[in-house]
Parts: sequence; structure tokens; C-alpha cells
Amino acid sequence: MKTIVFLVLASIGLAFSLSGAVGILRMPDLYSRIQCSSKTVTMGALPALVALVVGEGIDSTYASRALLVAVLLLIVSPTASHALARAAYKSGVPMWDGAVRDEVVERKAQEKAKEQEQQKAKERARQPGGGGEG
Amino acid sequence: MSTSLYGVIALVETAIGLLLMARLAAGPTISDRIVALNTLSTQATLSVLFFAAFADRTIYLDVALWLASFSYLGAIVWARYLERGLL
Repeated sequence: MKTIVFLVLASIGLAFSLSGAVGILRMPDLYSRIQCSSKTVTMGALPALVALVVGEGIDSTYASRALLVAVLLLIVSPTASHALARAAYKSGVPMWDGAVRDEVVERKAQEKAKEQEQQKAKERARQPGGGGEG
Repeated sequence: MSTSLYGVIALVETAIGLLLMARLAAGPTISDRIVALNTLSTQATLSVLFFAAFADRTIYLDVALWLASFSYLGAIVWARYLERGLL
């Protein structure tokens, strides 16, 4: 029973690690690669660590260290992926040619249009009253 | 649990790491290389953990723990450098 659980968990982990590595090799741009990389941690590393816990028994030294590594990866890996993607976007890494939308650009254009409209409304409110502009 | 199974898993994880080295060598931008290096360090952590179980040496577990914590700190520092141009 223990062996079956160990084998299933380990093969899930190895399969996801392998597919994540293939994705990092084959994906067309950086942002897709970052996505593959984070899948490698959550579905690849964690089942393998749980497999080690199951294989060695929960009260062994290996199990405690494996669980510690698992918690560490769960906390730090999304943070690192997020920081990397943000830094890459800000430093101007290009997207894939087939990418359909860039929500940051759209949001910035919307905010700019809103600001201009507000300024126009302010000027319109000022003009009929005083008319004393330099 | 037979220990040779642990050795096989460690070897497979190492092979996946070797696959990632192609992206590490060929990545067009620095960020690509950092992503590949990050994933590579995760694979290295798993490989060292399973090798520790294979060789029955608990001292290797500290290596894995160190790798897991410091590689991601390194990635965050790299991201900061790319974003602001200073460390």
C-alpha cells in the first residue's frame, strides 16, 4: 500500500517536472515560460516531497526536512515568479507576436483618458465664471 | 521502501535539470536565464533530497534546505536589479 502511494506521488511529480521543463524549453516568450516554471514547483516538487514523506515515514528526519522545504517552496516560489515577471515587463522584455492583449497598456490608456476628461471639465467650470487666465 | 528507487528518482530529476540547461544557455534575455536557473535549483533541491534518502546520509538534507531558500532569494534580488538598475 505504502509503495503504491509512493509510486503514484513520485510519478505525478516527475511527470509534471518533465512537462514543465519541456514547456520552459519550447514556450515562445518569457511570460509563458514563467507560468511553466511555477507549475513545476506546485505540481512537480510538492508531490515528490510528499512521496519522500510517505516513503520514509512521517517521524523520520527526511520527512521533517522535506516538509520544511515544501513549506518554503510554497511561500517563496510565487513571490519570486511575480517579482520576476514584473521586473521583466518593466525592463521591456517583448511579448510573443501572437499575444492578443496587454492589459497594462489598456489600463494606462484608460486612466490617461479619464484624467484628460477631468481636466477638461475643470477648465469648462472655470471659464464662464471668471475668465481671468493668463 | 527500497533505496534504489530513491536513486532512480534523483537521477531522473538530474536529467530534467540537464534539459533545463539548454534554456539556460540559449535564453535570449537575462530574465529567461533567471527563470531557467530558478527551475533548475528546484530540481537540484529535489535531487539532493532523494539522494540523501538513497545514500542514507542525513547531513545532505541541509544542502537541500540551503538551496531551496537561497536560490529564490537570489531570484528576488535579480528581479530588483532588473527593475531598478541597482542592487
